[in-house]
Amino acid sequence: MIEFSAEMDPETPHVLRVSGEVDIATVDDFLARARRALEGSPTVLEIDVAAVSFIDSSGLGALVRLRDEAVAAGKTIQLTHVPRQVMRVLELTGLSETFLDQPGD
Amino acid sequence: MGVSPRDGTRHPRRVAAVIALAGIVLTVITAWGAHRIDRETEESLLDGQSQQAAVVLSAAITVIEQPLEAALAAYDSAGGANGGAVFRRFMSEYVGEDKVFQNASVWRRTGDGLDRVATIGAAPTSVVRAQLRESFASTTTTIRFVNAGERTQIAYARADSDTGTLVYAERLLPADRRAPVDRDSAFSEIHYAIYLGDEIRADALSTTDVDPSTLPFDGITATEQVPFGDKVLTLTTTPRDHLGSELGQQLPWLLLIAGLLLTAVATHAGQQLARGRLTAEQDADTITALYERAETLYGQQRELFVSLQRALLPHVNPQIPQVELATKYVAGARGLDIGGDWYSIIGLDETRYGFVVGDVSGRGVDSVAVMAQARFTIRAYLVDGDGPSAALEKCAPQFDIGRDGHMTTVLVGVGDWRTGEVTLANAGHPPPVLLTEDGASFVDVPPGRPLGTGVAAYPSVTVRMPPGSTLFCYTDGLVERRGEDIDVGLARLAGLLVDAGPSSVDRLVERALDTMRSDDAPDDIAVLALRWTGERVRTDLPGDVTAPAAARRFVTSALADRSGEEASPQPDDLALVVSELVTNAVRAGATRIGVELLVAEHRVELRVDDDASGWPTPRQAEDGDLDGRGLQIVEVVADEWHATELDRGKQVTVIWSPPAPGSGD
Repeated sequence: MIEFSAEMDPETPHVLRVSGEVDIATVDDFLARARRALEGSPTVLEIDVAAVSFIDSSGLGALVRLRDEAVAAGKTIQLTHVPRQVMRVLELTGLSETFLDQPGD
Repeated sequence: MGVSPRDGTRHPRRVAAVIALAGIVLTVITAWGAHRIDRETEESLLDGQSQQAAVVLSAAITVIEQPLEAALAAYDSAGGANGGAVFRRFMSEYVGEDKVFQNASVWRRTGDGLDRVATIGAAPTSVVRAQLRESFASTTTTIRFVNAGERTQIAYARADSDTGTLVYAERLLPADRRAPVDRDSAFSEIHYAIYLGDEIRADALSTTDVDPSTLPFDGITATEQVPFGDKVLTLTTTPRDHLGSELGQQLPWLLLIAGLLLTAVATHAGQQLARGRLTAEQDADTITALYERAETLYGQQRELFVSLQRALLPHVNPQIPQVELATKYVAGARGLDIGGDWYSIIGLDETRYGFVVGDVSGRGVDSVAVMAQARFTIRAYLVDGDGPSAALEKCAPQFDIGRDGHMTTVLVGVGDWRTGEVTLANAGHPPPVLLTEDGASFVDVPPGRPLGTGVAAYPSVTVRMPPGSTLFCYTDGLVERRGEDIDVGLARLAGLLVDAGPSSVDRLVERALDTMRSDDAPDDIAVLALRWTGERVRTDLPGDVTAPAAARRFVTSALADRSGEEASPQPDDLALVVSELVTNAVRAGATRIGVELLVAEHRVELRVDDDASGWPTPRQAEDGDLDGRGLQIVEVVADEWHATELDRGKQVTVIWSPPAPGSGD
């Protein structure tokens, strides 16, 4: 079983904590949870990826789609507490600027 | 060594001299012996004839003496006047021109004197009265030579002292004393001379049948004496020609001539033989010396060649990780020349090694030269990066049996010690044996033409050696036996490798040589045994969404011992790459996905194979584009990658190989 979870803390409704591996196997689950979180969140959805042990282009692809949907809804998403591996992949794919510290395009 | 005769007695000239001398001596002795025998025979024959002649002479004497006796007796008995007439009548038969006596007369003693009382024939002319007187004192006839003018006569006188009467007769000798001999008489084969008295003196000669001036006889003579009145007649004889056989007379000459001829022939033959023998001995000495020298050179040359051959072979095999090697070269038993078999092991790069086993036809320095050329040429191509096929294909045009006099069979292999894969190509060489725990089988590497027999294609075959399996390569000297089909030898080899059971590669090589090779086998043999002891790092996964995660775990644990910031790749990168590749395969619809990790000190290779169609093409992904980012990541993260088509599906290989310090070829 692949370790994955995406939880919302009721005290922090704008933060989605993701942990585990985000790849082709878990990406659908991630997207579903993330969309729900996006619906219930104000303009900015913070995705805390501190506990993400692995993400690849499949996972990133989901993030890109999520972002596009957020933008279409007038919202943004933000990745926080980005660990090394996730950072590496963001850099490799040239998406680091897209997802970090800069809401919108 | 010189060419002088070893031994004086063998010198041809001396041999000839000895033979000649011996021959001459023998001949002379024999001829002389024959001559002596002939002479003795002649003498004894002459003695016989003389004796016969003497008998005849005695008889003749009787013819002379008896009438005188009888005449005197007749006169005495007649007496008186008749005596004379009786005497004359009696003697008339004996007296006359051609008769025994010239004259005959009777004498009577009167007082002191003697008177002639009867005569027949001419009056006696040469009476010697002393003789008459002596007659009375003698009981036999007295005989004297008397001269009658120019002729000589023999005077006979016989007296009877009782009656006082005496008969006297004279006989004329031929002037030349010669009396011819009747052909049939006892004197026919001999010459004779009769002397009155016991001395052979010219003035005593009575009669002879030869010229008196040639007397006395010389050569073979015989002498007989015959009583003649009060004297003796001495008869000397000599052979007229040759009393004995013709052969006896000729024999000494025949023997002499024949002997000398034989001696000459024997001398010549002996000399020739001695000369021939001398030459043969000299030749034998020369040949012996040459042979000894050749043997020494043979030994030196063979040592030289063995050293040369050994020098060309690797002394120490290179160490290859996860590969155990055993090699051996054995020179052929027979003869001076060394064959052109060889083996070669070459470290090509960090992950690959090459190995070659070859066999140049024939023997001698030439074949070693061709071997050296083949060995180093193939090595150069392999080091240059060519695979076995390419190496052989490039080599083939450089050899020509017409020019080199030899052809070469070769088995070339390039192996990856990380995976146990071996790629093989074959130029007319016997197939290697793959020995696994399931048994021994011959690897079918389609043979192209031996080097030197023309340009050809050399298809290659890739074998994945199971961990712990052994590839056994050899030259045909190992499996060929005279009178036996090579298949028998091949089966024998496979059998003994299986029977050897778990053995080190060294032991396998030893067993193979001990079992397969007989001590007097003429061919040389090269053997190379190669065992892959590595393990393949691979996992096979089903083509579902769990595959990438499983692949990530697999490579992470496989790379666990490589740590540190210098390590390339970093485990995270490797996991990422494998995740991307496996994800792509899953998306393409693969049902089976293989992930293999090939690790070397300065190189890591990741291979992902799948059975889906489609071909990986990186695309420059734009934002929002989900696909295609994977390969983009691979390109950035790894040093190189490529895709290979498989029978079903494809294989993507990703390589991390930072340049190691100090390397570079």
